[in-house]
Amino acid sequence: MTADVHAERAATSRRPGLAALRGRNNEGVLAGVILLLLLVMLVVEPSALTWGFAGDIIRSGLVTLALALGLLLIIISGGMDVSFTAIAVFSGYATVRLMTDLGIDGRVWPFLLAAAIGCALGSLNAVLVARYRMETLIASLGTQVIIRGFLLAFVGSTYLATLPPQLDSVGTTTIFRLGSSPVNIVVVPVALACVALALILRRTMFGRGVYAVGGDKESARRVGFHVARVQTGIYLLAGLFAGFAGMVHVVLSRHASPFDLVGMELNVIAAVVIGGALDRGGRGSVHGTVLGVLLVSLVQNSLVRLGISSYWHVLVIGLVILVGVAIQARSNARGAKRPRILEEVTP
Amino acid sequence: MSERPFALRASGVTKSYGGVRALAGVDVHVRAGEVLCLAGANGSGKSTLIKIISGVENPDHGTIELGGTSAQRLTVKEAVDRGVQVIFQDMSLFPNLTVAENIAMSARVSSNARWISERKERALARSVVERLGLRLDLDAEVQDLPVADRQLVAICRALALDVKVLFMDEPTTALTWHEVETLFRVVAQLKEQGVAIVFVSHKTDEVLDISDRITVLRNGEVVADGPTAEFDHASLVEALLGYSATEDRVLSQALAAAAPALEVEGLAATDLFADVSFSLVQGEVVGLTGLLGSGRSEVAEAIFGKVPTTGGRVRVAGREVSIEGIDDALRAGVAYVPSDRLTQGVFLDQSIATNLVSATIGTVTRRGGVLDESAMAAQVDDAVRDLAIKIGEPTDPARSLSGGNQQKVVLGKWLATDPGVLILNGPTVGVDAGSKAAIMEILRRKASAGMAILLISDDVPELVSICHRVLFIRRGRMSGELAGDEITESNVRERLVT
Amino acid sequence: MSKSSSTTISRNRAWSGRVLGQARHNGHALGLLVLAVMVAVMFSALSPSIYATPLNVQSIAFAVPEIGLMALAISIAMTTAGIDLSTVAVANLAALTAAFVSLQGQEAGMSTLVVSVVAVAAALAVGMLCGVLNAAVIAVIGVAPILATLATQMLLAGLAVLLTEGRPIYGLTPELTAVGTGTFAAVPTVFWIFLLVIATAAFIMRRTGYGLRATMIGANAVASDYSGINRSGVIFRTYMLTGTISAVAGLVMVMRTVSAAPGYGSSYLLLAVTIAVLAGVNPFGGRVAVWGVALAAVVLQMISSGLNILGYSAYIYQIVQGLILVGVMILRVEGIRAVALVHRARSGGAADPVPPVIDRPYEEGHDAQSSSGAAYSSHTHQG
Repeated sequence: MTADVHAERAATSRRPGLAALRGRNNEGVLAGVILLLLLVMLVVEPSALTWGFAGDIIRSGLVTLALALGLLLIIISGGMDVSFTAIAVFSGYATVRLMTDLGIDGRVWPFLLAAAIGCALGSLNAVLVARYRMETLIASLGTQVIIRGFLLAFVGSTYLATLPPQLDSVGTTTIFRLGSSPVNIVVVPVALACVALALILRRTMFGRGVYAVGGDKESARRVGFHVARVQTGIYLLAGLFAGFAGMVHVVLSRHASPFDLVGMELNVIAAVVIGGALDRGGRGSVHGTVLGVLLVSLVQNSLVRLGISSYWHVLVIGLVILVGVAIQARSNARGAKRPRILEEVTP
Repeated sequence: MSERPFALRASGVTKSYGGVRALAGVDVHVRAGEVLCLAGANGSGKSTLIKIISGVENPDHGTIELGGTSAQRLTVKEAVDRGVQVIFQDMSLFPNLTVAENIAMSARVSSNARWISERKERALARSVVERLGLRLDLDAEVQDLPVADRQLVAICRALALDVKVLFMDEPTTALTWHEVETLFRVVAQLKEQGVAIVFVSHKTDEVLDISDRITVLRNGEVVADGPTAEFDHASLVEALLGYSATEDRVLSQALAAAAPALEVEGLAATDLFADVSFSLVQGEVVGLTGLLGSGRSEVAEAIFGKVPTTGGRVRVAGREVSIEGIDDALRAGVAYVPSDRLTQGVFLDQSIATNLVSATIGTVTRRGGVLDESAMAAQVDDAVRDLAIKIGEPTDPARSLSGGNQQKVVLGKWLATDPGVLILNGPTVGVDAGSKAAIMEILRRKASAGMAILLISDDVPELVSICHRVLFIRRGRMSGELAGDEITESNVRERLVT
Repeated sequence: MSKSSSTTISRNRAWSGRVLGQARHNGHALGLLVLAVMVAVMFSALSPSIYATPLNVQSIAFAVPEIGLMALAISIAMTTAGIDLSTVAVANLAALTAAFVSLQGQEAGMSTLVVSVVAVAAALAVGMLCGVLNAAVIAVIGVAPILATLATQMLLAGLAVLLTEGRPIYGLTPELTAVGTGTFAAVPTVFWIFLLVIATAAFIMRRTGYGLRATMIGANAVASDYSGINRSGVIFRTYMLTGTISAVAGLVMVMRTVSAAPGYGSSYLLLAVTIAVLAGVNPFGGRVAVWGVALAAVVLQMISSGLNILGYSAYIYQIVQGLILVGVMILRVEGIRAVALVHRARSGGAADPVPPVIDRPYEEGHDAQSSSGAAYSSHTHQG
């Protein structure tokens, strides 16, 4: 398989090995940047590169990654979403509220319930986008304020400082330690969610439909995709991932606050875009997104380890994001080539 | 052959958009193993018919019978399930996916598969590519492919399925001769396998060459239908255009002392064209023609500063100019009516008035950047009157106009720049006969007044009707010239295809 | 002959005042006005003793300008098919600049009037510079506006935190404080400033060559390229304009609250986008709705105030905001569907398939892409 791929590439020489290394969405470039950063750290502050450092990076990136998954789906399909944080906080908070009010407790099912609530909230976006063909950014802007307003007005606006004991125990369960840094067990469901989404995108017809709709909606229709149905699936699934992410956030922070998360959507969008998802759609991958989140998290933690004043952090992150989107924009400027016409004069 | 069963029979198909009737009770049929040519000029309803039969659009009336079952309307999926495949004119590929993924796409969608195996996708794609004897890099992304290869990918995608009726909408436009041969070989192969092929084209040579039967559409109606043997070049052209194609050759009066208006010397652009040299004098109408993908549009866009050049010189009105951008061209007095009216020419949702001033905003602005609205109004009124544009109010959106009047608006916005050289790229494509004649008359009038006009077109009667000289371009190089009485339809056509 | 020319001239007069040809969209502004009246009547009926009082009207007028100006900045970017998500960050940076200059100038013992002028000028200059940064990222590097301004808003917010070390700055000059809290003819001075900026922006967008070019680029970037319109020049002016307007919003903010802090007003961003869309701007460009922005900002503030007086929480206001935004879009689609159905019934045949109200990716890059597509399709369309 690989052998004949190489043979074919050599034969046509359209895709040199370098391009293959770069990856379809510049994932290779991103990995290179991450390695470079680590190298810089190694030179500047070798003592900082410990297993504990890795643990910190994982812990701080976990919620962002969970939030990024649903968003990735939407961005690949050519849409934009700012409602996912509201969906996440609604799902997480409502679940805990319900558990507290009814006095029930659990470890696994709260995650499923939150995901189900997220899915239901995602249906709002699905209706607006698939039926009313509303511009996705505008639609999600509307649903964000509606969902968050509904949460605060009708579900609750109080800070729940303690979680039900069993649920709380998830937040204190360490699966393994990286040096001094404990890694929470929720890394497992988040990793599973990543794998699941990667499988959906790469191995299912629905996933192919997501790329098809993002690549060219009209063409997708012409080959027989039911575009509205694909979009409905996308927004339901994105809601599901957002709901799940909300519970991950609740468990890791060990409290439930209805005021969390909303406001950080732009950071998540930035991580996904740096990860190679193209804002005009059709591109993006789970491993790219993982790398994007990793990069942002790495930068954040490196600043801490290097003892740089926290006043610099937002600025540096902003710079990283700016450079990231700029690189993506430049490398995607290709493809605007004209077809070759001129025929060489045959001797 | 007539014993073969009908693969497709569409009867009484009617379709209107808004108030405009695109198809009026069209009957079309094709038998298994038959190549039907569906011929028709732009706007004759060909594309609409294809969309209806492939389920992309629903008809208002009529039935579609495929392989024995008949239906009022089809979804894309149903059409595909019944063996209909279309190679659309725009190819409808996914630029973000690889060749293999594109080729396998229709087959996977149609099989109702839920899962994807990259291995199987590749195997499927490879088998189709090999069956057709093509060379395609299965892992390349379609956006990186040249147009001809994209066309081949589109063909492969259609053939990856068990196809019974294959529509090919202008499939040869972007292909080289060699590739057209390959395509025709594939068509013959499919025909032997009993596939019904509907070949859409308005290139008469091609139509006569490849088909068994011809159905001609004009203004949404079938105007001719019969075995190919019953047609010859002239009768086919007549059926296509609806009138004897020979338009009167009326030339504008050449100016007595015409100075050179545009001189192009050794113009070149990497991969696009090379050694392009020609010149126009004031008041001269010169045709520049070649097949699609010959480089004719690129040469025009290079002179207009839209395509970067890599060598050569351009002189306008005797002065050498360096045209690196459109503003340079405008300053030198070159105007360009682009080929794709809808995306490049007209602002559909903006008013007719703003459309008409869009190329001359600088000249209708007073000192300090404030718009001079009476100057704008005057310019708009002048254009409307001068070009006899049929409009409601100048504030109506350009969308409300007919194609012909939209084109007049685009023409008007460029005439307002008062250019010494006017380049037009396919100015009458998709324009009704009346507007076409009117546009030609405008051009003659402007030429008499001293404007040099470079008309890029492959509408042979049009070229013959107006041009003092016709230049030919082929694969990026100038390939000949006709002048004066040499310009006849048969001469131009012959030069065009050889 | 003379008769025909005179009719032409009289016709000129008839429409020359609206050459920009957006008369069709005035229906939207009218709808907003009706909505405003309805909202006013409803809340006045529900709470006559508080809502319909001069004091309340004045408090609404105090609250409208800053959010209205931010929405204005976003709406102007939207006219060119862009967006400016950095507006709140720019406003903050400008506010901090004004406060910082005021503080330093007064400590140095300079005349407070001079300090005020310098502070305002510095704030506006900062806003314009931020606009230059945005435009450079968009036009020179080629990043889609939504991503470019998303990145710059973080960068600028980070800059604000870095420069102030996260602390608020107090110490505005008395003159600036007076402007921010005073009234003129019973109307808050900041509202007059708001109206002045709105009127100026309306003039720029509707009556200048730049405004027309910006509209054309938003309507069809490819066609405007072919029309010889300098796209990057217009983008630079656009984001410099939105940056400056954001700076005015920041000035209003700092003058009203007499202090500036990084992170202030961060909840305004989505509200500002909501107002811009509600105003009738098409996020895909080609439409100007400056007065619509003013109306929409007032309507939303009236609703906010009314709900507040009736004892509803700010969260209910959020829900209402979202419902209005979504409702407007749904009504537009259902309206088109209804018209299509009527048309169908009347003509006896089928009507057009429902046209997508908005169904286009929203950034510049796509147009660049489609221009190359257009180069191909130019081959396929003819032939």
